[in-house]
Amino acid sequence: MRRIYFMMKKEFRQIFRDPPMVAIIFVMPVVQMLVLSFAITTEIKHVKLAVADLDNGVATRAITRAFANTDRFDVNIVTDDPAAVKEGMRSWDAQVGLVILPGFGRDLARGPAPQVNIVMDGVDGNAASVAMGYAAGILQDYAEKSAAGAPAGAAGRGAFPARMQERMWYNPDLDSKNYMVPGIVVVLLTILPMMLSAMSLVKEKEIGTLEQLQVTPLGRRELLAGKLTPFLILSFIELAIVTVVAVLAFGITMSGSYADLALAALVYLATTIGLGIFISTITGTQQQAMFVAWFFMMFMILMSGFFIPIENMPPFLRRLTLLNPMRYFLAVVRDLFQKGTPLSSLWKDMLPMGLYGLAIFASGVMKFRKRLG
Amino acid sequence: MDETRMTGTAGREAGGENDPRTGRAMDTVVRTRGLTRRFGSFTAVDGVSLDVGRGEIFGFLGANGAGKTTMIRMLCGLLMPSGGEATVAGFDVYRESEGIKRNIGYMSQRFSLYEDLTIEENIEFYGGIYGLKMDEIRVRRDALLEMLGLQAEARKLTRDLPLGFKQRLALGTALLHDPKIVFLDEPTSGVDPRVRRAFWDVIHEESKKGKTVFVSTHFMEEAEYCHRVSIMRDGKVIALGSPGELKREYGRSTIQDVFIEVASGRTAAGGGEARAGGSGDSAGPAGKGGEGS
Amino acid sequence: MNASMNRAASLARKELMHIMKDPRTLLIVFIMPLLQLVMFGYAFDMEIHMIPVGVIDRDNSTESRRLIETFRGSDLFRLSEAGAGSGDVEASFQSRKTRAVLVIPPGFGKDLARGPAADVQMIIDASDPNSAQLMKNYFGQVLAGFNESGGRGGAMPFDVRTSILYNPDLKSAFFFVPGIVAMIMVMICALLTSITVAREKETGTMEQLLVSPVRPREIIAGKVLPYVFLAFLDGTFILVVGILLFGVPFNGSLLLMVGLSTLYIITALSLGLMISTVARTQQVAIMMALTITMLPTIMLSGLVFPIESMPKPLQLFTYIVPARYFLQIIRGILLKGSALAHLWQPALSLLVMTSILLTVAVRRFGMKLER
Ligand SMILES: Nc1ncnc2c1ncn2[C@@H]1O[C@H](COP(=O)(O)OP(=O)(O)OP(=O)(O)O)[C@@H](O)[C@H]1O
Ligand SMILES: [Mg+2]
Repeated sequence: MRRIYFMMKKEFRQIFRDPPMVAIIFVMPVVQMLVLSFAITTEIKHVKLAVADLDNGVATRAITRAFANTDRFDVNIVTDDPAAVKEGMRSWDAQVGLVILPGFGRDLARGPAPQVNIVMDGVDGNAASVAMGYAAGILQDYAEKSAAGAPAGAAGRGAFPARMQERMWYNPDLDSKNYMVPGIVVVLLTILPMMLSAMSLVKEKEIGTLEQLQVTPLGRRELLAGKLTPFLILSFIELAIVTVVAVLAFGITMSGSYADLALAALVYLATTIGLGIFISTITGTQQQAMFVAWFFMMFMILMSGFFIPIENMPPFLRRLTLLNPMRYFLAVVRDLFQKGTPLSSLWKDMLPMGLYGLAIFASGVMKFRKRLG
Repeated sequence: MDETRMTGTAGREAGGENDPRTGRAMDTVVRTRGLTRRFGSFTAVDGVSLDVGRGEIFGFLGANGAGKTTMIRMLCGLLMPSGGEATVAGFDVYRESEGIKRNIGYMSQRFSLYEDLTIEENIEFYGGIYGLKMDEIRVRRDALLEMLGLQAEARKLTRDLPLGFKQRLALGTALLHDPKIVFLDEPTSGVDPRVRRAFWDVIHEESKKGKTVFVSTHFMEEAEYCHRVSIMRDGKVIALGSPGELKREYGRSTIQDVFIEVASGRTAAGGGEARAGGSGDSAGPAGKGGEGS
Repeated sequence: MNASMNRAASLARKELMHIMKDPRTLLIVFIMPLLQLVMFGYAFDMEIHMIPVGVIDRDNSTESRRLIETFRGSDLFRLSEAGAGSGDVEASFQSRKTRAVLVIPPGFGKDLARGPAADVQMIIDASDPNSAQLMKNYFGQVLAGFNESGGRGGAMPFDVRTSILYNPDLKSAFFFVPGIVAMIMVMICALLTSITVAREKETGTMEQLLVSPVRPREIIAGKVLPYVFLAFLDGTFILVVGILLFGVPFNGSLLLMVGLSTLYIITALSLGLMISTVARTQQVAIMMALTITMLPTIMLSGLVFPIESMPKPLQLFTYIVPARYFLQIIRGILLKGSALAHLWQPALSLLVMTSILLTVAVRRFGMKLER
């Protein structure tokens, strides 16, 4: 125990003596939190719209206004030349084109139903399909409003429609921050412990102090305990900082219990720190360690549902996510924050996460041979 | 040489038959038989047999790449041997490296204190790792700082020390927990003659207290300060004895000349090779120096 | 001049040996983008299928059963009976058994007959707002189908025709292949170079170089050229895989592509050199390179998340992220067949940026070395 204490003391001293390190541990997460939570929006807004209005009548201008009035679209180009829409797309000045042919207003009043052409830039498929939905919604609204003004047409056949009232639970305003910020907490709690523990172990290898430690009576377990407990503590401080930022700066509500969050984090940290140890055993330089850690990180983040929802993945990849410990922790943290689910009901995630943590940590420790040979 | 071999055998018998845990009952504290280490197909240490006694200063000479560091690392329990046997302080290097570690100090060829800790923090850290009590650490720290004349700089970062002081600090740290045996791998490389002198004063002092000192070096005048030296080439011990014996045996006036002759294998194609060849399982050139403690 | 070339060449050879001797890093440099390609290429499908939906039918009339059947007929949903109370809804959301619950209130059938409209409630687990929005849209579609088949409600008074250009199947690989190429170039040119320079400083070999007759410019050239080579190799590799595996088109001019890619690579290298003038240790170099090059390249360039959707201050920041311009260029050339006439804006921005960065980096690097 005393040996571990001395090891920890040394570790803290080294960390706090190194200003870039302190910045990395305490400032970077907050910066990342700020940048990420604003950058990562799954909402699509201010889509650049090119309107080629060849009719230029009352109705078509009203439609253009309807598009301009939402923050979903920014009308960027207004033209009477349909070819300009395509040119606009090539120079990235337009993402969606609205092409209305001559005679629109006339046909709208008398029939047959006139055409509205929506041209999408399909490069960003996700944005395109979302924008398409928006456009259809705006046109629908316009149609309903104009129908309300002139009660005739198809609606008056005697039967009455079913209407949907939607109730958005947990996130009534569909604010993507509520979803992404808890996710960023998870990402930070993945990156930092894994990188720091891997790099700090490899660093001792690189500068030769590990060898010095290996001729002391300090056991392998004591060495790891003394070296990693500081990172465990720092990770918790980290968790506290980002949680406070999330709640105070972003106004994210924590619906569940903080104790549950801490407990889940403890279980998860066994995984990330264990991975750190594991990486340090298969690499010899900090550069290698960084690359391998980064590789793990990429895999974990992509396959966690952080920004690609798991249910959207093809079955093969969906099954692959079951191997990803971060997937479970992400689900737990999001549910804790948003739904306030008690940890006891999250055992389906906690159990595999705990098992992974145990297995990864144990194999990391085993692999961390005390002998160099 | 005959005489040497005799005593060597006696020592080994004593060591072999006595309780290995109570290494003190006998005089041999380091004992190897046919110790070998291979890296792939390359043999870095090739069947070395040695007996080193309590209080002895044992020098390791040899050209770069001769296998000195590899030998020391095996004896410290850092590296698994590929063959042969060895006990250090009565503990087997294969199975009892934990026991070895409680009894040795080690100063590696690379400087391996923490550059980003202060001098006293380094001392305190290693003291703590060796399980010393806090007040013990304080006493020894102060003694060490005084010996190094570094009291004023105790709170300076180790990084900012001149190399000579760094090395002396490393030596002091290796001795902090009062180990039975210390392994010093080229402790004086890159330090000036004055500091080197101070180094050897410490080494002699420790030896008088009964510590066994293993030291590898490229400075031949340092070899003269050893009780016994071994000269390695291509992983084999090709000459072993007290500096006086070696000089007499090879008919040279300095160890430097002996070394150049032996280590380069220029003349001693007969002598050197033959001896090396015999060093397999028979006691070979190993043995306890007459000038021991 | 000749001697200078020779010196740079021998440095470059040495650097190449370093790279080749570290197969682990090399492997990762090639495998990681491939993995990302596959994941982004296959996984980023915004359609959700078989959404688990719970049903609470409090009306239990022919009409309500017909509505449920309409839902069941769509392959978007997987229906299950839900408990009756709102506590059950909460429980089913918390256990993630259902993502939405359809509640048909008593009197639904009567309201349909009497008018003016019959309400159904759709309770959606909106913790993932994006999926929630999609689900809402799907429900709207199904309900519209229900109304239409019952002869209720109006169809659109006009005929909306949609056409999708450049990526008609909305394949996510089309979007991500260029992005991954941009990322690779930053990874190799900024991250790897800054680390190797820092390592030479740490191990003291940089000093060794400085006492040799090599000039700073030669050091830079020798250090950097192998990575340029590697970056081109890796970028081409991913591009070819993208083209073969996902059918990503190459519509524009190869020459323009190579020219502008070189510009971008120089930008990334300059960033790497700048970092290496600041960072003394590998650890710091790594962390700096990750935060000031990789993070913006992935997050703030439009690589994954559209810039237009970001808040204004962050949008302003994206103007100094080189990848922002490069992405417009490479996506334009590959997918849209854009010519320089279309891309002069991003190309000019990149050119200006590159010249500034390169000058500053070479100056700083030379100055640091000479001291
Ligand atoms: N881990 C290893 N893998 C492969 N070869 C090794 C390894 N460690 C040492 N060697 C080789 O073993 C030989 C002996 O090395 P060692 O370090 O023991 O020599 P040395 O006598 O200490 O030399 P020096 O005076 O240069 O310190 C060298 O040729 C070295 O290259
Ligand atoms: Mg050596």
